[in-house]
Amino acid sequence: MGHIAMIIRKPPYGDINAAEAVRHALGAASGEWKVSLILVDGGVLLAKKGQDDTGTGFTNLETTLKDCIDMGVGVYADNLSLMEHSVKQDELPAGVQVKNESDIASIVKTADKTMLF
Amino acid sequence: MLVIVRSAPDTIDGKRGIKIARDMAADVVLLQNGVYFMQAEHLDDLGFCGTAYVLSDDRKLRGLGPIGSDRRAKEITYDGLVDLMTESNNVVGMF
Amino acid sequence: MGKTLTLYVSTSPYAYENTLTTARIAESALNKGHAVNLIASADGVYCFLKKQKAKGIINAEEEFSRLIGKGLKVYL
Repeated sequence: MGHIAMIIRKPPYGDINAAEAVRHALGAASGEWKVSLILVDGGVLLAKKGQDDTGTGFTNLETTLKDCIDMGVGVYADNLSLMEHSVKQDELPAGVQVKNESDIASIVKTADKTMLF
Repeated sequence: MLVIVRSAPDTIDGKRGIKIARDMAADVVLLQNGVYFMQAEHLDDLGFCGTAYVLSDDRKLRGLGPIGSDRRAKEITYDGLVDLMTESNNVVGMF
Repeated sequence: MGKTLTLYVSTSPYAYENTLTTARIAESALNKGHAVNLIASADGVYCFLKKQKAKGIINAEEEFSRLIGKGLKVYL
């Protein structure tokens, strides 16, 4: 059906944006879209391992992100944003790919549609 | 005096909350995305030298590790937060 | 002796984490014997609509109804 890029710019949980992005990514992937989930700025914090949702009532977004990867969604984290937010590469779940800004620009350029969260 | 900060370090609101606390010699409570202030040197960079209380549930939710012993920071629960709020003569926030 | 906490919520129930924070602070304060007022303004009033169907996030209607049962005073 085409290629959709979703850019997440905000950290998880503080607002609904990251949760909505992964929800739509799952929906698009199951609808046979090729999906690229791009994490930039505070959005890279979505991919930090060890999220513990005990007692909060929230869906664990680390788990949902892993579900996205299992569904074939390409998950890309901006290297500079990771450094700015003190997230090391060994703190990322398996399957999250670290990319530089020009790589990310290429992914967005090839997408048919782009959504911002 | 207590300032509550819920916004991330890369936001205007988050920075403003810490600066106001600094200028009033107040302590801060970091919750929601405010817990990311405990990473790197965000508080030092803004010249904050009071005590930072970090809400445990919100830190764990984001996959952040426990607070290092070298920081002027203390971990609190919601019960601890309520005690701070009721014992403080003034609570400002949430930024 | 218990004190009175007055909380203010102005954001919609599911777009921000404020609903959870407000509910947990209110519950802890009530458990400690404090009186808790909650003023809902602007989009915060949507926390108190009936028949909410939330999933993957705390249900504002259920949570605040439970707290009202514990003594939370809500003002819209």
